[in-house]
Amino acid sequence: MAWEEELKRAICEGEEEQAERIVSAALDENINPWEILERGAIPGIIEAGRLWQEGEYFLPDVILATEAYNQVSVALEPLLSEGERRGRGSVVIGSVEGDAHEIGKNIVVAMLRGSGYQVTDLGIDVEKEAFVESVRESNPDVLGLGAYMTTTMRRMPEVIQSLIEAGLRERVKVIVGGAAVTEDYAKKIGADGYGKDAAQAVSLVERLLGGG
Amino acid sequence: MDAKAGFQLGVLRRMARGLAYGVGWRRDGLDGYERLIAAIYGQPDRVPVLMQPYTYAMRLNRLSARTFFTRPRPFIHASMNTARYFEVDFWSPVFDFYNIEVEALGQTLIWREESEPDVDTRRPLLPERESFSKLKPPVPGKSGRMPFVLESYERYSELMGVPPIVYACSPFTMAVLIRGYVNLIRDVRRHPAFVHRLMEFLSMEVVVPWIQKMAEKVQPSMVTMSDAWASQPNVTTEMVREFCLPYIHKIIAATSSPTRTVLDTGSWGERWVKDFREVLDIKMEMMVPGNRFPALRPFFLLVWNEDYEEVGISHVRGYAEEKRVCLMLNFSPNLIEEGPVEAILEMVRKLLREGAGKGRMVLLLNLVPMGTPPEHLHALVASVKQWGNYPIAHDLDLLPLKIPEKPNYGIWREKEGLPVDES
Repeated sequence: MAWEEELKRAICEGEEEQAERIVSAALDENINPWEILERGAIPGIIEAGRLWQEGEYFLPDVILATEAYNQVSVALEPLLSEGERRGRGSVVIGSVEGDAHEIGKNIVVAMLRGSGYQVTDLGIDVEKEAFVESVRESNPDVLGLGAYMTTTMRRMPEVIQSLIEAGLRERVKVIVGGAAVTEDYAKKIGADGYGKDAAQAVSLVERLLGGG
Repeated sequence: MDAKAGFQLGVLRRMARGLAYGVGWRRDGLDGYERLIAAIYGQPDRVPVLMQPYTYAMRLNRLSARTFFTRPRPFIHASMNTARYFEVDFWSPVFDFYNIEVEALGQTLIWREESEPDVDTRRPLLPERESFSKLKPPVPGKSGRMPFVLESYERYSELMGVPPIVYACSPFTMAVLIRGYVNLIRDVRRHPAFVHRLMEFLSMEVVVPWIQKMAEKVQPSMVTMSDAWASQPNVTTEMVREFCLPYIHKIIAATSSPTRTVLDTGSWGERWVKDFREVLDIKMEMMVPGNRFPALRPFFLLVWNEDYEEVGISHVRGYAEEKRVCLMLNFSPNLIEEGPVEAILEMVRKLLREGAGKGRMVLLLNLVPMGTPPEHLHALVASVKQWGNYPIAHDLDLLPLKIPEKPNYGIWREKEGLPVDES
């Protein structure tokens, strides 16, 4: 089997050690890092997303695929050019203040990276000021807010309000997601879009940035 | 007869009345507790509403999270006031029950002023598998907030005249909380023997002694374990069968008795699998062995709104009827909060029409978001009370509704509530 297929399968099946070995061997053979990502790693994470959407994969399968992809992308990222890193657009993402849940967000991050976006992950329990500061500093195309609990999703409109007050709302598309959030809620708080799961979040970003 | 025996006799009498009504011996009216029992085993006079006041009670009574989740009297009094104000049939003293055992093991929590404490997922108690050897079982009833739980349950029993439904965290969810989800998923694939050792420890050295201690203190007739992390799609059904079910069965075998049902309500995820019955089958397996007295089986099948909205209420009702089990359906927390009242009433009609059948249905208010306007809850409870009588009317749309006028909560509490300070 060619290295591309092996890497795609290793990532899709969440075999991170095997994926790292394949990447290392490919680099030893002077294969371009961007090519390794584009022909092996990205198809692997996209395949995992497809299987998830079709109901073949459960969360553990996606998590392990995500982990393997992240491992590979961390190794390859320093070797990429600035243009390659910037990719198709940029996204800042985080779980809102009070929310310590990160699994769903991490999957969205991996899927977005796997789809060629540059993602800044602010982590969990992120205060609204930190979101605003990050939008001001890095000028992303999209800001993603995640909330897992009905108690914490009330922070989402506060972030949007802070963006308005800072005069930054028009500069960035705001998308929301997480177990507690619904499409109706997203509309009500004035978000630009809602993603039910990671795959939908990627499609949404593509649509908002005019690529889908 | 001593007070303890008198208390238990009183409980048995009320259970018997509820049970007798449920199966057709209808001599007397029912109180809320009896209505719940009647609904579990047959047809009550109407669908009962069971409430978990939780953080809504905290907000309504203007208590901080520290006070509400650590002090028995404010916690119980605020919860009871809330349940009485909204006139639900029965209420359950719910705190952050996923955290009690893990906190007692040494897991750090994040505390905030206005919401329930949460496990600090950035600092799992078992960051490496090797840390497992250092783990010491809690001292049941003494470690962490276990004394708070026991005292709260005792206060509840004093006030209500029946023991509370008591809660324990299922071992799989506990394993996720102290090990971290991703770590545990990796362990399942690469070190399954370790996961089994961890599950055995959490089941037999943490959960069982804790349930036994609670049983000794408050003689509950029902102990429920909850297993949020064992939901689909968090885990596959195969994983549940290998890593959850055997341990649930061990715990049930070690702690249930003819007068004490111990069960796992399972979690959610019917909408995530190709055949929703697969998840319901697992829930049945987590519940059916719960009582040693076969006539008291099964107890109830709990299905959450996200699932029944997608799978269809009538389908889960069909499954429940086939298995002759009570169907417990929660009411969408988002809908309670966002309303409007007419949308809430429409959902009540739908739940009654498609879910109430000829009995064996309980409506659960598991979470009332803190921002919920009281009038939403008043309308919801009034509509179930006026429309939920058996047999359920065919023309629910035409039935009138009178929402009782109530003073605002503060005024009501002054006159009729319990004090929520330490007095």
